[in-house]
Amino acid sequence: MARKKTTKMAYGSGAEMMFGTAKYPVTTKRGIEIGGGFVHPEVVPHPRPGSEKTMKTLLREYEKANGDALERMVVVGHPTLQVENEHVFQMTHNPKWGGEIAAQTAKQMDDYLEKYGLKASYRSTPADLRKPDMHHMRTSDYTMDILESFKEVSKYADVVSIESMGGKEIFDHAIIRNDIGGILFGIGVLGAIDMEWMWDQIVEICKKNNCIPGGDTNCSEANTAMFMAGGMISKDVPHVIAALSRAISASRTMVAYECGATGPTKDCAYEDPIIKAMTGVPISTEGKVSACAHSDLASNIIMAVCDLWSNEAVEYHDMFGATTTSVFAEILGYDAAMLNCSLELGYQEQMKEILVNSDMYRDSHSLILAPDNAWDIGNAIVSNRAKSNYASARAGAIKAGQIIQGDAKMKLTALEKDALDKAMKDLDALPDAEGDFIDQCLDKYKDVKGFNPDSYGL
Amino acid sequence: MRYLDDFSNIFKRYDLDGEVTGEAREVSKDATLQEIAKFVVEGDDEGILPVVQKALGSKSPIDIINDALIAGMNEVSRLWDEGVYFLPQVILSSDAMNVGIAECEAKMGKSMDRKSTVVTHTAEGDIHDIGQVIVNALLNANGYEVVDLGADVPVEKVVAACKEHKPVMVTGTALMTTTMTAFPKIAHQLEAAGLAIPFICGGGAVCEEYVTGYDLGVWGKEASQAPEMAEDATAGESWESMRGKWNG
Repeated sequence: MARKKTTKMAYGSGAEMMFGTAKYPVTTKRGIEIGGGFVHPEVVPHPRPGSEKTMKTLLREYEKANGDALERMVVVGHPTLQVENEHVFQMTHNPKWGGEIAAQTAKQMDDYLEKYGLKASYRSTPADLRKPDMHHMRTSDYTMDILESFKEVSKYADVVSIESMGGKEIFDHAIIRNDIGGILFGIGVLGAIDMEWMWDQIVEICKKNNCIPGGDTNCSEANTAMFMAGGMISKDVPHVIAALSRAISASRTMVAYECGATGPTKDCAYEDPIIKAMTGVPISTEGKVSACAHSDLASNIIMAVCDLWSNEAVEYHDMFGATTTSVFAEILGYDAAMLNCSLELGYQEQMKEILVNSDMYRDSHSLILAPDNAWDIGNAIVSNRAKSNYASARAGAIKAGQIIQGDAKMKLTALEKDALDKAMKDLDALPDAEGDFIDQCLDKYKDVKGFNPDSYGL
Repeated sequence: MRYLDDFSNIFKRYDLDGEVTGEAREVSKDATLQEIAKFVVEGDDEGILPVVQKALGSKSPIDIINDALIAGMNEVSRLWDEGVYFLPQVILSSDAMNVGIAECEAKMGKSMDRKSTVVTHTAEGDIHDIGQVIVNALLNANGYEVVDLGADVPVEKVVAACKEHKPVMVTGTALMTTTMTAFPKIAHQLEAAGLAIPFICGGGAVCEEYVTGYDLGVWGKEASQAPEMAEDATAGESWESMRGKWNG
């Protein structure tokens, strides 16, 4: 399917968006309607080091890790669960491994449905092994591994996703230099080009195997920015630059849905509230329950319009309460139950207010993810979508900056304020036409280690 | 949507409460050297070149390196240590310093002396190397020769590089728990080869308990620790001594 650019917002405002409900729900093989009125938990088990040695040891590890989570659902009475396995290197490099693990998990889920009536679904996420400065993005052996992996896992999984890496060589150079132009080029232009190339193929593979093409995430860039910005005492990357990176990433990540992905989106895409506003697909988000994997300053606000509620990833270990996957699946399920009770009792607006107010002014990155602001950023992206990837990403970044600058309750340190003022000035000074911007960047970044324009058809 | 006006019972903005301000100090009484240092402090890698070229007409390259470029970089390091600067400002200053140093080295016809050599790599099977990129930049900015092996580096290649370059320490970065398993293999092979140098391991899921579970391993919590660790290694501290200082 050729990419169809989004030029109209799916929602009329941020106020229209609500957790549990999406404009375009999707239904999994065992009957979970994601975005169909209620929130469902999504747990992400990760194997222990050493278990990746052979396919046999990895199969056993996932059998226990995924199986424990399914069992805990029955033990505490949670009605649904999505399990995601983000591939370790070996699972994608050896596509049969990922396929065998998907088949095993699907069988476990069939057994739980038959025995207990538990509705479960499986998301398989092949690893993007392509490091842009080391491999050709379109012709390397790793590229073939990834596509082959999608063919294998989509035979058994309900949903597939990826965390694609396009533009990371430029982004990595730019983020440690506060270079917003480079970030825009890496994520908003190169990332979008790579996604279109990749997602056209993923969607076709999914069609053949009756699998849901979930979505992508800018984990490798916008999340890198967010994690480097860190908490309140970190001095690695200004939080405002991470926030602008996030707005740019929404323009990039939307390419998957324009190519035919339907959601549920990938959990670690903190740009997902913006994606939901623009596209209406059901979204998976992660917040406080992903503290097992990383910290963030948006832990409650990111729940405000979710359809799946995830934990990012937890390594399989024993805890006092049981194994980690049991424990985290239980926590996620109870969070979903809380949200679903508020829906059933008619308190959903109040719940949304609580979640938003908890974090909105904790950090500038949180501020732009508040549903009203996410909608505004999405609208800026969509309004410029017909022009180019670049124009829409740039418009999203400028809108995010204006939101931060224009909200008197959003206090910034002097360093943050200076960084934002400079970034906005730089964004304003960029050329209007995508072609001019690309020419400028091809020259400016020609010496960045490993940058190969041919990887992007440039 | 209703919004609160007062969030003081919801969260505390430690970044605002603990905000630090400060300015760069003068590093030279000589106006020309001070001007060059200012370009370093401000991270201007374009503006610095003509100024250094002009200064080379009247000053020795080594004086420009030591009393302007490195002196300016030292001032940047101080500002970062005190919380006045962000990392990107340090990287930009390092870029500017490197432009100036390259020009001075061209004039000298040889490379400037470095404090010592450090080998850096990201683990085999792991492509998440931004932590290593930061380590490289900080070590370079602090006067160390960096042998950058890049990402997804096989165990044997790391060991071979250490045999060839005889570094004072080697670093390893890994995001994934399933790739950090290469670290003890490297440590074992280095030890077997008689290269009992500190092996600084960090990044992502790499934790102190894991790294201190094998000989040579010293856990690096933050990339920003790299220059001081290199200083310890250059001074001849053993991996046991460094582990005692930085870990536990």
